[in-house]
Amino acid sequence: MTDMTHPIPRNSRLEQLRHRFLRTPLDIAVTAASLLLALFVGWKLLDWAVLSAVWTSPDGLSQPCRDASGACWAVIEARWRLILFGVFPYAEQWRAAVATAALILAGGLSCLPLFWSVIRQALLWIAAFALFMVFMHGGVFGLSSVPPAQWGGLALTLFFFVAVVIVGMPLSICLALMRRSDLPVIRGTAIILIDGVRALPLVTILFTAALILPFVLPGWLQGDKIWRVIAGFALFFAAYQAEVLRSGIQALPRGQEEAAKALGMGYFHRITRVVLPQAFRNALPPTINQLVITLMETSLIVIIGFFDLMASGNAAYGTGEWSFAYVEVYAFIALIYGVFVFSLSRYGRYLERRLRVGSS
Amino acid sequence: MKLNTYLSLAAIAIAATATGALAESGATLKTVKERGKLICTGHNGSYPGMTELDDRGNWAGFDVDLCRALATAIFGTHESHLDIVPTSWAQRWPSIQSGEVDAVIKSTGWTLNRDTEIGLQFSRPYMLGSVNYMAPVELGAKTPQDLDGGTLCLQSGTTYERYAVSHAASMGYEIGMVPFEKTEEMKAAFMAGRCDAILEWDLQLAVFKALELPNPDDYAIIPAPVAAEPLAIAMRQGDDNWVDIANWTLSVLVAAEEYGITSANVDEMKANPPTPEVAKMLGATPGFGTVLGLEDDFGYNIIKVIGNYAEIWDRNVGEGSVYKLPRGVNALLRDGGINYPLVID
Repeated sequence: MTDMTHPIPRNSRLEQLRHRFLRTPLDIAVTAASLLLALFVGWKLLDWAVLSAVWTSPDGLSQPCRDASGACWAVIEARWRLILFGVFPYAEQWRAAVATAALILAGGLSCLPLFWSVIRQALLWIAAFALFMVFMHGGVFGLSSVPPAQWGGLALTLFFFVAVVIVGMPLSICLALMRRSDLPVIRGTAIILIDGVRALPLVTILFTAALILPFVLPGWLQGDKIWRVIAGFALFFAAYQAEVLRSGIQALPRGQEEAAKALGMGYFHRITRVVLPQAFRNALPPTINQLVITLMETSLIVIIGFFDLMASGNAAYGTGEWSFAYVEVYAFIALIYGVFVFSLSRYGRYLERRLRVGSS
Repeated sequence: MKLNTYLSLAAIAIAATATGALAESGATLKTVKERGKLICTGHNGSYPGMTELDDRGNWAGFDVDLCRALATAIFGTHESHLDIVPTSWAQRWPSIQSGEVDAVIKSTGWTLNRDTEIGLQFSRPYMLGSVNYMAPVELGAKTPQDLDGGTLCLQSGTTYERYAVSHAASMGYEIGMVPFEKTEEMKAAFMAGRCDAILEWDLQLAVFKALELPNPDDYAIIPAPVAAEPLAIAMRQGDDNWVDIANWTLSVLVAAEEYGITSANVDEMKANPPTPEVAKMLGATPGFGTVLGLEDDFGYNIIKVIGNYAEIWDRNVGEGSVYKLPRGVNALLRDGGINYPLVID
């Protein structure tokens, strides 16, 4: 036997690197080529995004960008309020900013262990939504009324996402529990609901909620388009999340519930104190997954005429002045989505560590 | 977009069975006046020249100005009397049918299907979406016939392919087709010089020329239209009064241009009207508005606030914009176009 398994020297990091990347001439060649390529791409990117970029345009016009070879971040400077707040009345956009900040703050707070109880979460979100509606919708305290048709940009996207999750999450718990019920009618209803909703594409559900329901519902039940669409979207979210939760519940040993029964705990206590906390722990990774997907899918509401983050991005470069700068606008939007998704996944990892998911 | 089309047709089918969706004459104007606001279509994003947003999130564009003109005709001003609702293409028909919007002014072509099966009613066309060739200037093509023996880049499966084939056949020239799957590919091929011309709605050509071509002056839109699609305001079937209002609002814009009335000189014109028609149109003598259910000076208000057709054109798509689209077929009849006002008697 030749010496195939000579031990990796662990004495120094440099040795390790050398061993991993520069062992044979071929390794050296591959490493060098990859490094060169990475450097080249990195340099090009840096040059485009930073060194040759135009950061600002004093008169708000695109002229300074026309001669530059790099990115034109001046488009963001000129159009950022459009991207963040869409068609919200310009003079009132501070209200949209406050409303958005309230949602983000509530989202941050609700992640703290201090707020991990149903009552506190409920209070927190009711307060956040009240604040959001007061500032965004107005019509009270001397603020002019701004109907949802004029909401837009990041403010609308975030509101939509949060509302869908807040409505959808309790609904999904109900559906998951109903589906495990011993009573055939309840179980059957849940199965029909979940499978029915999952059989439909999200676009169809949104379209129906926004455009077809007004024809079949009586006037007093219609409400604004945005509430119907949130309800439809929440149902969609709940159908998927219910199955995620059910997987978490079914992963629990049967003995857990039986032991709780033996201790004389009622159904409510068994579910809220024994089953659900563990089910959520088990279902944490796919739940975070579902949340991220939902955030991304909010961009679909553009097809029913909402001016969400993607639509306002489209409007931001969709004018003669800035039409060449779509890459910069999309990069900016990607950054915004990225920040939120990244925070979500970091929080998921923190939770997993804290709740020791995967170990035990 | 296939799915969207299908869905909106489904919505229409339900709308038709659920409500009958017929508006009564005068019902829309009454609703709009009671509401105190006209609700008009915007766009879910941007459609250059027709519906755009400025830095402050204000709507701008040709279609938007027509929404403003309509609101001004009813209320004397569009400030706080007009809501522009972002609307996607697929959403247009359900929105108008359900009464969510009062009029669809969204670069919408007047077609048989829309006029009959979808249950809409159209105003007189406010713009002729003229389909033209664009070719490099150095080719020296002045008419489509000059492209004889050349090649045309186009998107396969679109109506433009049909237009080109039938136009070439009837006008006696031959042009080779180079089909592409996507618009972007077609544009890239044209820019790379793989064909002599492209065929598109002239506004789209002007946008492409002004915004994407590296040297816009090296290309020219060939003036002769190959085909045309009339763009008109779409409304619910059955409300004849509403159609009248739309038609006369559009007519006022064209008439003002023909009579030389602009937003700058309209006060002067109203004070000293050159002809009885102008006097009536601007409300110096009564009888123009009341027959429509509007104020007699609605024509004056439109011109004062919005301007005439030429002003709207220049501001949004013409010389005053980056697109610099020539009037072409949309010029006044006396200038060789097809635009004419209705007769005020």
